Amino acid sequence: MLPNRSRLSVLVFLLPPLLLYGAAVLFPILQSLFLSFFSWNGISDMEFVGLANYIRMFTADDVFWRSFFNALGYLTICLVLQLGGALVVASLLTSLRRGRELIKTLYLLPAVISTVAIAFLFVRIYSIDPVGLLNQLLDWIGLGSLERAWLSDVNTVLAAVSAPEGWRFTGLYMLIIYAALISVPKELEEAAVLDGASRWTLFTKIRFPHIRPVWITTTIMATTYGLRGFDIPYLMTNGGPGQSSELLTTYMYKTAFTSTDFGYASTNSVFIVIECLVAVGLILFMLKRKAES
Amino acid sequence: MKKLFRTAAVAAVTALALAGCGGGGVSSPSNVTPTGEIKAREISWLLSRPADGAVINIMKKLAEDYAKDHPGFSLNLITTPDRPSYIQKLETLAAANKLPELFDTDATPFAQQLAKQGKMVDAEKLLKTLNVYDNYRPAALDYQRFDDRSLYMIPFQFELEFFWYNKALLQKAGVAAPKSLDDIPAMCTSLRKAGITPIAIDGQDQWPLERYVAYQPFREAGPDFIQKLKKGEAKFSDPAGQKSVEWLAALGKAKCFQDGFSSQGYSDAQNQFTSGKAAMYNIGTWELPSLATDKLNPAVRGDIDFITLPTTEGSATAANEFVSPSGIGMAVNAKTYDPLVSDFLKFALGKYPAEYAATGALSPTTDVKTAIPANATPLYKKAVEKAEDLGDQQAMPWDTQLDPTTNGRLQQELVLLVQGNITPEQFTNTMDSTVAQNAPKFFK
Repeated sequence: MLPNRSRLSVLVFLLPPLLLYGAAVLFPILQSLFLSFFSWNGISDMEFVGLANYIRMFTADDVFWRSFFNALGYLTICLVLQLGGALVVASLLTSLRRGRELIKTLYLLPAVISTVAIAFLFVRIYSIDPVGLLNQLLDWIGLGSLERAWLSDVNTVLAAVSAPEGWRFTGLYMLIIYAALISVPKELEEAAVLDGASRWTLFTKIRFPHIRPVWITTTIMATTYGLRGFDIPYLMTNGGPGQSSELLTTYMYKTAFTSTDFGYASTNSVFIVIECLVAVGLILFMLKRKAES
Repeated sequence: MKKLFRTAAVAAVTALALAGCGGGGVSSPSNVTPTGEIKAREISWLLSRPADGAVINIMKKLAEDYAKDHPGFSLNLITTPDRPSYIQKLETLAAANKLPELFDTDATPFAQQLAKQGKMVDAEKLLKTLNVYDNYRPAALDYQRFDDRSLYMIPFQFELEFFWYNKALLQKAGVAAPKSLDDIPAMCTSLRKAGITPIAIDGQDQWPLERYVAYQPFREAGPDFIQKLKKGEAKFSDPAGQKSVEWLAALGKAKCFQDGFSSQGYSDAQNQFTSGKAAMYNIGTWELPSLATDKLNPAVRGDIDFITLPTTEGSATAANEFVSPSGIGMAVNAKTYDPLVSDFLKFALGKYPAEYAATGALSPTTDVKTAIPANATPLYKKAVEKAEDLGDQQAMPWDTQLDPTTNGRLQQELVLLVQGNITPEQFTNTMDSTVAQNAPKFFK
């Protein structure tokens, strides 16, 4: 328990960021909720439509559902690359004796490159005409039959726009997980090894339970970032071809700023907020249950 | 929680009400001769044109000349050349009632709503008052008009869109330049067989492919088809619409466009053509400096020629009627229109055409002659001369006609149709229901 004076000073210091958060995050969310009950194109009179926007979104908008499932696909690929990749690299790093810093830096580099540069870079990597890096590599290793225009093929485009986002932040999550892994007490590991634990048992019974709190945080971070993913798909394909790489976020943006249907776009944004809250709730619930079991 | 919601709702309403209050004081759009003293200040032009292009350079110079007699005057040019980004900026500013003195817009349904709300000055009256209206090419003004023939935008360009082609590549494939639109799929098949990319297209920006959907209906049913289609009075399932859908599917089947075209940009497409890889390229006279001067790759320079939009059998429109846009137009904000803006426009619009034509571009007016650059190839003159032989009708780009939601969906579905990911029937059904759902909101 803090003494009175300290409690007051904590409140004084917490209030400005809280106000800023309220103005920058909570207020727009509530304003979106308000606008979602209206039909408004920005210059017309606002017309109250009740739940019509929600009914349209859930029952009559095929692009919305397509974007929703695309967003889930995008999230899955990002999570596998970011968390799975980060865990593998971090685990391998702990067994390295030399060059750890160099490898950490190399893996972290993409996180500091501008999004636009990454998007343009990958457009070139995926290109078929002129032949980009990926198609060239496939050709060199004798898999020429797999060559394709990755960003124009409706079957590959979603994975193609998800991979750069996953690749970009793998290094960042690797760094966080690596920091957690090296904090695992050595004596515990040594005792387990003496008891004859395999590397896998060592990982599942000792290391992972120890890093679980960090893992939860990184999973929440990666999931919310993944659900909010926008810039790379928007820059690389603008949601195309067709709606093959359209995410809820890019769809909402287009509905607001291209179709100028601000009411309906607000309905989409309310859905995204709820979706993020549900996702975080689910993660906490699942990991808690696993920890208890 | 309930209380928090109520407070937020009140705050939101207050914010909107305040935004509404800020927008008061709209002056009459038909009053083109404001009276009073000319008080020099900075005025802004929100525009979507290349930053180092002729229009901006000339207007900068004219603004500097005007400022010599009106100390304190300056023209702040805020350009966003990327059109989708620009449109988003414009629409957001319009929603916030913060449009500057001058702003660019096409004759879109959104712009028409702004005009109806009295937010734009009547350009026809303005040009007539300035005694320059009759100088303008009718086609240049028609391109800027809304459906009811009213005019709220002033053109600064005049362009003609051609099908540029590489004679040597066509010859290599044993085909001639298409005489009819219906010849194009067969031409593509022959070119592909010879290992040549038939048509280079900028798929990333979407409007170039949208041009193609307009061609068959323009030839089959004339310019009225899109006017009706956008309001839901005509359909893609009508004969003219079907002809277009089937033709586009045929273009896709014949692999007319370069592989992976949907993710290739403007310069990719141009490079394909100017490097001699692609046989055809559909682009306007704004590219004359790169296609018809000694800047063009010498390896293809002697092989390049162009045709205008091919006709079809029983075509409703003539060979000299095709896409001849006068570019994005400039609208004058009625709210901020005052003696200064009026006087500056009088000064600038009087001097602009001569300066513009001197750069080798086609002026939207007929009172000046385009200067052919010293480094031009014979094609330059040939292209410029086409402007003197235009018919009365012109093919309107559909992206300036359709409501924004339908337009966005059309651009997406076109790629799928041409790539063969959807059938013509699926395309027709999707687009007809999209128009039916969205058009009424914009064209009621």
